[in-house]
Amino acid sequence: NSPAPLPERAIYGFALFLGSWFGFILYIIWAFVPETWLFSLGLTYWPQKYWAVALPVYLLVAVGIGYILLFGINMMSTAPLNSTDTITDNYAKRQQQKKFQEEAIPALRDISISEVNRMFFLPEK
Amino acid sequence: EERRYRSASGAPIALRRRQHSASCRELAVRCPRLQLRSLSAVTSAVWLAAYGLFVLSENSMVLSSAIFITLIGLIIYLHFVKIDQESLLVIGSLGIQVTSSYASGKESTTFIEMSQVKDVVINEAIHMQKVIYYLCILLQDPGDPQGVSEVVPLFQSSKPRLDCLIEVYKSCQEILEQRKTAPQSS
Repeated sequence: NSPAPLPERAIYGFALFLGSWFGFILYIIWAFVPETWLFSLGLTYWPQKYWAVALPVYLLVAVGIGYILLFGINMMSTAPLNSTDTITDNYAKRQQQKKFQEEAIPALRDISISEVNRMFFLPEK
Repeated sequence: EERRYRSASGAPIALRRRQHSASCRELAVRCPRLQLRSLSAVTSAVWLAAYGLFVLSENSMVLSSAIFITLIGLIIYLHFVKIDQESLLVIGSLGIQVTSSYASGKESTTFIEMSQVKDVVINEAIHMQKVIYYLCILLQDPGDPQGVSEVVPLFQSSKPRLDCLIEVYKSCQEILEQRKTAPQSS
């Protein structure tokens, strides 16, 4: 699963490159060539030219709203100051205490906030 | 005695500690008063906007309604929003009482019984794109002796910084430790 270049990936890349150029040329033709010329060629069932301007504008406005929306979603999912999620969570509540072994590094565990506070803020005599 | 500190946003606040007895302490944080310059700035902005509307619409009701709105808005702000002082009264065997007094004189109190209080701790959390320290009371979960059922944040509008919070924390812990060493009556 390495990102190294492979022959299949080169073929996919070139196909996408040709496809995107083709789509772009088609879009330019649809937007700029007058309708009468397209009708005379027999191509009558194409979308209104209104959409050639409307779709890019929709896209850019959606990107701009997306910035604000992401910011707002982040602020909404932040836990408020009065929730217990700021102190503990399900994993910390259900953790098991491992037995203390002599001369071994103690096992990693979540220390309760009362103990942490005592260690930080009350001076040790 | 009273000492000066700063709030999380930089405004000057004052902490006053009073010891009523060996197991009863009162800690009060006083917020800065409403500044004349901010009041006049808001009033002039509202009245300028109303005058602009009046020039555009030629309706004199806009001016009188702007005066009315300013007065009502000031009264509502002083009575419901602007907190003058927040105080914490810790009585060792009884409980903790939290009082907020507003600028209009209104006081709202909350009392928490000592058996419900698990601990008073300094917690840090994200609040409006900042990480702040705040003091909070952890309430005991009746079913689980190790669990916390609720978190009650204190000093919400004055938001003192860590040095002031450490003083309040030490005072509270001195009283809370007494209930561990002397649990004679229930």
